[in-house]
Amino acid sequence: MLVQILNGLVYGGLLYIVSVGLVLIFGLRRIVNFAHGSLFMLGAYVGFSVAAMGGFWGALLAAAIVLALVGALLDIAILQPLQREDPIVTVLVTFGLLLILEDFAQFVWGKDFLKSPVPTMFSGSVLIFGESFPVYRLVVIAVAALVALGLSVWLRLSKIGLYVRASSADPLTTAMQGVNTDRVSVIVVALGAALAGISGTISAPLLALSPSMGSYILIESFIVVVVGGLGSFAGAFIAAIVIGQVHNLGLVYVPWAATMIPFLLMVGVLIWRPTGIAGSHV
Amino acid sequence: MTGIVTTDPIVSRAPPPRHALALASAIGAIACGALLAATIQSSLMMTLVTQAIITAILATGVGFLIRQNGVVSFGHAAFYGIACYTIALALKLGVMRVEFAILLALALPTALAFLLGLVIIRIPGVAFSMLTLAVGQAFYEFAMKARHVTGGEDGFSVSLPPAILGIPTAWFQNPHSMFVVSWSVLVLIIFGLALIAASPFGRLTVAIRENEERARFIGYRTTLPRVLVLTLSAFVTAIAGVLFTLYNTFVSPDVLHWTLSGSALIMAIIGGPRLIWGPALGAIIFFFTKDIAGDVTEHWQGIIGVILIVVMLVIPSGLGGTLAALWQRRFGHG
Repeated sequence: MLVQILNGLVYGGLLYIVSVGLVLIFGLRRIVNFAHGSLFMLGAYVGFSVAAMGGFWGALLAAAIVLALVGALLDIAILQPLQREDPIVTVLVTFGLLLILEDFAQFVWGKDFLKSPVPTMFSGSVLIFGESFPVYRLVVIAVAALVALGLSVWLRLSKIGLYVRASSADPLTTAMQGVNTDRVSVIVVALGAALAGISGTISAPLLALSPSMGSYILIESFIVVVVGGLGSFAGAFIAAIVIGQVHNLGLVYVPWAATMIPFLLMVGVLIWRPTGIAGSHV
Repeated sequence: MTGIVTTDPIVSRAPPPRHALALASAIGAIACGALLAATIQSSLMMTLVTQAIITAILATGVGFLIRQNGVVSFGHAAFYGIACYTIALALKLGVMRVEFAILLALALPTALAFLLGLVIIRIPGVAFSMLTLAVGQAFYEFAMKARHVTGGEDGFSVSLPPAILGIPTAWFQNPHSMFVVSWSVLVLIIFGLALIAASPFGRLTVAIRENEERARFIGYRTTLPRVLVLTLSAFVTAIAGVLFTLYNTFVSPDVLHWTLSGSALIMAIIGGPRLIWGPALGAIIFFFTKDIAGDVTEHWQGIIGVILIVVMLVIPSGLGGTLAALWQRRFGHG
């Protein structure tokens, strides 16, 4: 049972790191990046390629840097010019980007599933209350917890964090106070993309790599963000942990219905609270 | 006041000439379709065109939702696929005649859209798009997992009886005759949707699309009309699903996958969703681009992505919108 809860934490933690990037960008810009899952996918592939030479930490660093650059480019080339347009334009343009990035990954790494090995330093398992649990999964939980903690501290203490929180609470007043969102958004989008890349890299040994892996995680993280309440960090955290648990417990106890549970949970939450658990706006 | 003119009983009783014109062009379009089917000999070409037309009906449903509601759905494959699976399963289990199965296949997605709409239509803008993507994919996951009923990933073939409503079933599988059927259905749908869009109800939904709050201020209930637009759009989508099943006689979870919803959406955007016939034009362009690009390169998905971005940035009204604007500049207000 404890092992199952830990497995749920692994999945929930990964979901949180991906979703929080969406929340960051939505908080600042009121837009949703449909190519966010593709950034996760790119992170997994970049990590996979670098891990062969640079080891686990090298892969993690490389994925974070490459994806941060991709994120900065995304903001400068696409999100900023489209800022004045209807948010739905950004949705459709980033959807086009999703198709291009999937095609790109297929071109570079091929269509077939790739399997990334568990890093040797984290191979093997430990006994937790008499049940064995892979070390690597514990590392994933630790990384997710570190990211969650670091991000909360950053949002709380840094100037940019203050702007992001202010903007996600009330973008109009924030702009009137003289906050120039364009200047902070490059950093915020780059950070969101880097987080997607990191979670892609650390989840690579747990999943099979394929160009379409991005859309699966995109849909799951949309559920997290909508259930949590768009733009809410705390909401996304709670939703990710809960969905990680129900997803995993579902896989164990009702395998035929497991994939449906997050969707049903989402519909239930939306009937109860149309703006999500912690959302005051959509 | 200008209102006097429109409330004049003589004016309102006489059929508006625009409708007569629209009816005439609908009949003309159906005749042209039949002529086209008679001239094109190549079966391969006809197969492509027939597929394009069936998907054009799906795109028309997606586009109508954008046109009347201003919301973008990433989950219409659910309505399409449920229609497909309803016929397939009803016939597999042998519980009803094919005619009833078709009626049920139209009714189920429509009813589902209505109920779902009551929950999700209040959610505005981008959040609606995210939700439709997630909800649509839930049905795909279900079809993949419920192997004992749906056959899972492999799908199964549909055993149709030799005749449907007295029409030999073979007609629905022959690309030439099926083209005439689907083309006529498409033209009638576009004609019907044009009538609805021009009706007081259609204008109300446009008013709500433009500013829901003001529509409420002047005393309209806004939720139900928006739910009804979604319902109507799902109904059109279900028709496409029924035609697809009769034509292909095979269903697999692909008909529920979000890439189908995404493709239909791209077609609607390329063609121009502000026009009722725009998405259908977009579907035809999409299919031919895919066919031509598919011969030259494996990267047609990337090409479609580039086309989508270019259309969004350069001609947001779509190709149909651009054509209509050119036509109007050339021939004045018609």
